[in-house]
Amino acid sequence: MLDMLSHSFHLLIFPGGLFALLLGLLLKGFDRKICARLQRRVGPPILQPFYDIIKLSQKETIIPDTANKAMFKFAPVFGFMGMMVAAMLIPVPGVWNGASGLGDMLMLLYLLPIPAIAFMLAGSASSSPYGAIGTSREMVLMFAYEIPLLVVLLTVALKAGGADGSEFSLAQVVAFQHENGSFGFNLSMLPAFIAFLCFIPGTMGVVPFDLPEAEPELLEGPLLEYSGPLLAMFNLMSALKLVVVMGLGVALFFPGTIPGGAVANLAWFIFKCFMLMLVSVTIVRTATGRLRTDQTFKFYLKYPSVLAYVSLGLTLLFK
Amino acid sequence: MSIIDAIKSKAVRSPWLYRINAGSCNGCDVELATTALIPRYDVERLGCKYCGSPKHADIVLITGPVTSMVKEKVLRVYEEIPDPKVTVAVGVCPISGGVFRGSYSVPIMLDDIIPVDVNVPGCPPRPQAILEGVAMALDIWKTRI
Repeated sequence: MLDMLSHSFHLLIFPGGLFALLLGLLLKGFDRKICARLQRRVGPPILQPFYDIIKLSQKETIIPDTANKAMFKFAPVFGFMGMMVAAMLIPVPGVWNGASGLGDMLMLLYLLPIPAIAFMLAGSASSSPYGAIGTSREMVLMFAYEIPLLVVLLTVALKAGGADGSEFSLAQVVAFQHENGSFGFNLSMLPAFIAFLCFIPGTMGVVPFDLPEAEPELLEGPLLEYSGPLLAMFNLMSALKLVVVMGLGVALFFPGTIPGGAVANLAWFIFKCFMLMLVSVTIVRTATGRLRTDQTFKFYLKYPSVLAYVSLGLTLLFK
Repeated sequence: MSIIDAIKSKAVRSPWLYRINAGSCNGCDVELATTALIPRYDVERLGCKYCGSPKHADIVLITGPVTSMVKEKVLRVYEEIPDPKVTVAVGVCPISGGVFRGSYSVPIMLDDIIPVDVNVPGCPPRPQAILEGVAMALDIWKTRI
């Protein structure tokens, strides 16, 4: 019973649910503001993503006649719920250790592609040609960025396992780094960290790798036919995903804590998420243009995968 | 005013724009792109965003005289925009036909087929005028939410 209560608290309030939603929308607001400032524009207010959600929830929902209606409505809910569960598994170092009984890293590996799958469902259910192209591109992109992620997670698991075996629990990975220093400052883990940085823009669907949405050519692909509350659901999903991916990055590479108790560590966690987003999302998307599908696929197979394998080899050698 | 109403009224700070080219010569479209892309005018400061899909739009900006070939398509795209929405006619063409007035392919004006809320005259209008038109459209949109 108590277990049930604590799980629902973690799912709905902290670190999943309410906390992750607010943090994700706030991070998105900062992302847009900083992007605008880098382009020397005034930019939207920082609370803009909140206004967008409030606006969308009051709009009319239009469902195309030719769409598969049940699937069309189900896709955003599916993606949103998947990310809610994923956000619950993210440890906040110094505040909460993560739901270690629920599987952690392997669970996340299964939960992280859910938004991509929700996009594919949405694109194919909406019966729009743009949605169909978006779906096929999303699939290619997913195959490309899942490989480096898998190898990075494997490397971290082997490293955190110490002299013998591997450790797939995020709580144990964080604990190991508290004792032996953060992996982000470890020379043999540096290639894996760079591979993870390359993975982030792909999974978040931001500019160099935003093939499925590609606003100027595909008109947001799978999201084209969505309007009103269902579109708001997709926005909330990507806000949650931002927190999940940044939180995962912090847990894998920089889980250090600062003295000063839970509140200070919470602020420290938010700051680290923000810095990670600044480096891997905001600056990248401001400074680059979109790659073609084949270029993206080759990029992921050439650089992040190789870097991740280098790290894996180094870890195995110096175990 | 309750808290719910106060939150709901914030919706007015997120107007998404959608452009329809109803046979325009592209002059007004260039000016529209100017308001979006050039740091000096930056329409995003009002919370606006140009979106690619009519389903995401709140404020629709229509340029060009409505030629007979494009009339049905404009109507169809217009109907795909979810309520509440505001229409802004940009340039002199949707108002009176402009330099195309009297042509065999411009038999009707825009407000014969669509209720127009704001007119931004000019050939093409200055970016400042377009921004003012968007701001006026926001005031109208406020009453419809």
